[in-house]
Amino acid sequence: MSTTTPRRERANQRANTPGTPGAQPGHTASGRHSQRWLAWIFLAPTILGMGLFTLVPIVASVVLAFFRWDIISAPTFVGFDNFAEVVQDPTVRVSFLNTIVFVIVAVSLQLGLALALAVMVQEKMPAWLRAFFRSAFFFPLILSAASVSIFMRYLFNEQFGVVNWFLSLAGIPAVPWLTTPGGSAAVVILVYVWQNFGFSFLLFIGGLASIPAETYEAASLDGATGWRKHVYVTLPLLSPTTLLASVMAIISALQVFDQPYVLTRGGPGDSTRTAVMVIFESAFQRLEFGQASAIGVILTLIIMAITAAQFRLSKRFVFYQ
Amino acid sequence: MTGATNGRLREISRRTALGALGAGILGATVASWPRLSGSDIPGRGDNSLSIAIMGTAADAAARQRAIDAFTRLHPDIRVKVQAIQAVDWKDFFTKILTMVAAGTPPDVVYVATEGAQLFADKLAHPLDEYLRRDAADMAEFFDDVHPSLVEAFMYKGSLFQLPMDWNAANMYYNTTAFSQAGLERPADDWTHLDFRSNLAAMRKARPSDFTPYYWTNRLFGGVVPWLYANDTSFLKETRSTGGDWLWDSFYAKDPSRSLRSGGYQWLEPNADDPRVFETFDYLRGLVKDGLGVRPEEGGGSSLVGLFASNRIGTTPAGGYWVQGLHEAGMKENDYDVAFFPKWRSQRHQFGTAGYAIMKTAKDKDAAWEWIKFSASREAMELIFPNPITTPARRSMVNEALYAGKGPAHWKVFYDTLDKYPTTGPIPAPPQQAAVETALMKNVSLAVSGDERQLKQALESMQRDLELALRRQS
Repeated sequence: MSTTTPRRERANQRANTPGTPGAQPGHTASGRHSQRWLAWIFLAPTILGMGLFTLVPIVASVVLAFFRWDIISAPTFVGFDNFAEVVQDPTVRVSFLNTIVFVIVAVSLQLGLALALAVMVQEKMPAWLRAFFRSAFFFPLILSAASVSIFMRYLFNEQFGVVNWFLSLAGIPAVPWLTTPGGSAAVVILVYVWQNFGFSFLLFIGGLASIPAETYEAASLDGATGWRKHVYVTLPLLSPTTLLASVMAIISALQVFDQPYVLTRGGPGDSTRTAVMVIFESAFQRLEFGQASAIGVILTLIIMAITAAQFRLSKRFVFYQ
Repeated sequence: MTGATNGRLREISRRTALGALGAGILGATVASWPRLSGSDIPGRGDNSLSIAIMGTAADAAARQRAIDAFTRLHPDIRVKVQAIQAVDWKDFFTKILTMVAAGTPPDVVYVATEGAQLFADKLAHPLDEYLRRDAADMAEFFDDVHPSLVEAFMYKGSLFQLPMDWNAANMYYNTTAFSQAGLERPADDWTHLDFRSNLAAMRKARPSDFTPYYWTNRLFGGVVPWLYANDTSFLKETRSTGGDWLWDSFYAKDPSRSLRSGGYQWLEPNADDPRVFETFDYLRGLVKDGLGVRPEEGGGSSLVGLFASNRIGTTPAGGYWVQGLHEAGMKENDYDVAFFPKWRSQRHQFGTAGYAIMKTAKDKDAAWEWIKFSASREAMELIFPNPITTPARRSMVNEALYAGKGPAHWKVFYDTLDKYPTTGPIPAPPQQAAVETALMKNVSLAVSGDERQLKQALESMQRDLELALRRQS
């Protein structure tokens, strides 16, 4: 049982003791007023930054979705034309479909791999080895996605890549990784998962550490062994972490750009073109900023809908201790 | 000791620490204000002539000798070169357009064929009045430059740029790979069938860890030279009227005078042309039989190392490859260059680049003086001391430029224009970015599967091109 005084109580004691260095003048009206000003001053940079660099672009983007604008000429109001055009555009439709498929496959792999490795690392492993794996699995995340993808392009080159060289040692013929629809999609997913699973892994490590040992002991007393312990103890108690990890992984995967752009430029055909790639191409290659904004608005709404659905469903599947 | 330190630390309240942090942030913001506001961009805020080129800071520095020479001639005009790093020309144009949108456009931009019509259509100021005024000074330049390069910068009868450097899609071949396969230098008029049989011979001689034909999926040097050789293209090529003022002034006696126009136009897609199908089918055959790779996205620079290590037999590239191969260790006889193989025609593909004056330029007269100077022999020798490209001036493509570096048949570079005056530019309408995306996205599919997949890819390309050309038109 803790013998320390709760923080609020200590603060009150200081505030009510005249002459105490920590005493706060916050109990007078003028003191409250000055504290409020101080709070606003400290909050101002964040509010300003958020407003300027987040809120304004979001509003501008929504407004721009109703205009035709090529940077050079003056914008023209076109109502819902941009939305109608992008909905009819087969490339946009395919890119959204690709993105959804990508999210399902990549997020499943990412979370599955992260969870499996987190459980493995957390169990029966010396502390130094655990620390090593934590760093090693997190390391890809701090690398630039573009440079990783350039490197991977060489690795997966059909003629001269190391991957095919290793396969050739086993007598397997060269695989056209980046020049066939299936191969390029597989490589994009593989590279993305390799680079991003470290974040989910760390979340799961944190989640696993917060599960009380007594719960496992109680489960053991009830006769639960290794696999059953994970199914009936670890997974349910890890569900808040799983929710957080899945929400973040899905949002991130819906915005995938770097890996497919650098590895395949969306090809061959449209096989690896994603929603954000289409936004980029519309805006910065075709100078159709209105259409790009319209696609952006649609993608934002999809992300919001999926996230809301996740939180709604979480009431059924997430268990808190 | 520890106690004393702790005592001092305790004297710093949280509020003081936060205040210090705030002051620090404020100080850093003030110190970096020139960067944040972009006022440290060369030429910004003063009357300098701001020139944007695609490249690194080292590329900008390499132009310093030319700038110094220009300043000696025009001490009243201050010049600042701004190097903009970009993956490719498309990326570079995007960055320029972003500068335009931000209200900070450069005065002069180095633009390649890929963006020539985009700039001419929306951003650039025509050079016509200056050329008419300084016709006497400019005659020597046009005498030394092939009219095809000039025509590539004509748009609806006006000239928007002077070509500084250019490159044709020629065929580089590895002489070691050729000799291992018992092959000799190809004839100048070799055909696509000769080419294929050469690839087959190389494949037979080196069945593994070797690619007889490596090509990339892009607008220059990808499928387009094959389409041109087969007397077709993926866009219908027409010419606009006008431009006589230039041709009659500077190229009146040129044998190809009658071929010249007010500029190229690409107004309709042509991917449903049977010859386009035939060309793609030929390339599909090369891929299917292991003679050529499925083309990947990206430029050719990464290929230099592979070519230099004798793992590639042939690849299309321009004169810009010479310095790179030399630096990669290739001797002048280790490789050579030939004309692109003939099919129904022997029309080649080229791309060129030169300076364009922006409509928004503060001092257009000063900008013209820079362009005029850059077109002089003196300036071009300062800017192109090495074979990093093919200079637009015929007289500069000489023995001295290629001495000790090769290739043996360097004359092929300029002969591509001199011997084949119908050689055409990269098809790049103002909607070039959308057109290029439409081309690239369908090429891989077209040459990687069966005949049915090829037909589907070309149908898809036709649809994509229709959409691309309709947009922004």
